[in-house]
Amino acid sequence: MGYVAVTAGEEIIERAADLFEKQRLAGDSEGLDVDQLDDQLGRLTAQAMSEGGLYAPRLAALAVKQAQGDTVEAAFLLRAYRSTLERFDETPAVDPGEMIATRRVSPAFKDVPGGQILGATKDYTQRLLDFDLVDGETADPTEEWEVADEGDPERLTTVTELLRSEGLLHEPDEPDVDDPTDTTRESVTHPPDRDAVLQELARGETGAVTALGYSALRGYGQVHPTLAEVRVGRLPVRIEHPYTGDEVTVTHADVTESEAVVPVYEKREDPQFAFGYGLTFGRNERKAIGMTILDASIQLDSDDEPAENAEFVLDTIDGMDSFGFIEHLKLPHYVTFQSILDRIRAIRERKGTAGKGHDDLADEESAERAPVAEANDDG
Amino acid sequence: MVDPHDRSDRFELIATCEAATLARFANEVLADDPPLSVRQEPRPQLLMQRVEEPVERRPFNLGEILVTPAEVDLAGERGFAMVPGKAERAALSGAIVDAAVAADHERTPAIVSALDDAAARQREQRQRAWAESKHTAVEFETMEDQQ
Repeated sequence: MGYVAVTAGEEIIERAADLFEKQRLAGDSEGLDVDQLDDQLGRLTAQAMSEGGLYAPRLAALAVKQAQGDTVEAAFLLRAYRSTLERFDETPAVDPGEMIATRRVSPAFKDVPGGQILGATKDYTQRLLDFDLVDGETADPTEEWEVADEGDPERLTTVTELLRSEGLLHEPDEPDVDDPTDTTRESVTHPPDRDAVLQELARGETGAVTALGYSALRGYGQVHPTLAEVRVGRLPVRIEHPYTGDEVTVTHADVTESEAVVPVYEKREDPQFAFGYGLTFGRNERKAIGMTILDASIQLDSDDEPAENAEFVLDTIDGMDSFGFIEHLKLPHYVTFQSILDRIRAIRERKGTAGKGHDDLADEESAERAPVAEANDDG
Repeated sequence: MVDPHDRSDRFELIATCEAATLARFANEVLADDPPLSVRQEPRPQLLMQRVEEPVERRPFNLGEILVTPAEVDLAGERGFAMVPGKAERAALSGAIVDAAVAADHERTPAIVSALDDAAARQREQRQRAWAESKHTAVEFETMEDQQ
């Protein structure tokens, strides 16, 4: 069935949009500044950037403000904006080992080279509401820190490098991919290449990535990983300088990375390790870990479990796709519904039930059932 | 050591410099009304960030980065700049500054000094962030032997 357009008063639609804008301004509080969102709600702007597939912190803050905190709507705004822009170039592929990490924990290796650096986290504290925040900001708790001069940031040895140095991880063949699939420019075909899977997962919707990754842990899959490490930090963004030809750094992008070692011996004839990888814009450890599980699951290439089926995962993971399809259902479907009504009426006509209401039919049905009831009573 | 006289180093310094500083120098350079043509208008564009997956070393596209590039010709000397985000004024100012230093404009010493300061501030922030992170380094102990 095709779509049929409807028409309505443009002025009324504008009024509804105005009412939406008013909701942001309705309270007595000061209006939110984009800088405040950028500075203080980094997780929210990170999620919008990650799902929008566009690293632009200030515009992400603007999008969050405009969407009144709806992250998928904010990601949609970013994607719509990016679709109006030209692409300058692709960057040379950066080695994530170059990350300037501000946080790195390895659940797998207690004595990981470079150390376990907790960084900024509340992972090991109780989740209790801090009522002091109601009355304003508390003082900077790090103000009194006597921090040792550590010099320039060190390059932390990654667990992959560690495993490789011990011969536990093979040296890969030269990858046969110079120009990875770009799913923003070409549709994903199945079975997808791994680079397409990683790109789609990287811009997947956080809740969907988490839920599908969780499904594998809950028994709908074989992957229960040990995380080799989770890192948060900044990756250099480079271009080739048009005059000198040197690789030069334009900026650094905040990212979250997760790597997992996955023993996939259960239900398999060939016991082996597999690896899962997750990398996403901004601080979003939940998503990076979920992506890692899904990457490892998809590599098993099975139709048995949802998380191992690339087509299922990639068809459901994108926030714009799911948002669009789910929310389009609230738009006018009058012609569709009229057609359904016509069909049902025609069937009822044929069956001779046309014109009878629910009560009439119910009476007829109970009358037809009565002998059976009596028979049962007699029995 | 970063050298603001080196074109590649200068590119990186301009990219980190504050927009207001770049604009101030660009205005000073243009004060004498030198011939200026804009070879590339400052418009937001995209860079697709490629990353190498560490196990297979297979490149993939992580996502796009918003940048604003600009290119000018200032009295016969070309200048190019690219700054992060949507920042047309900073990009155009940066390209003018780049060309001015390449042409050894009379404001070059002041520009070089400002770029050096920007580099020092950036290095200081990076070192401070690293020191704070290291301050949270922990050694986990397993509790197998404890009752």
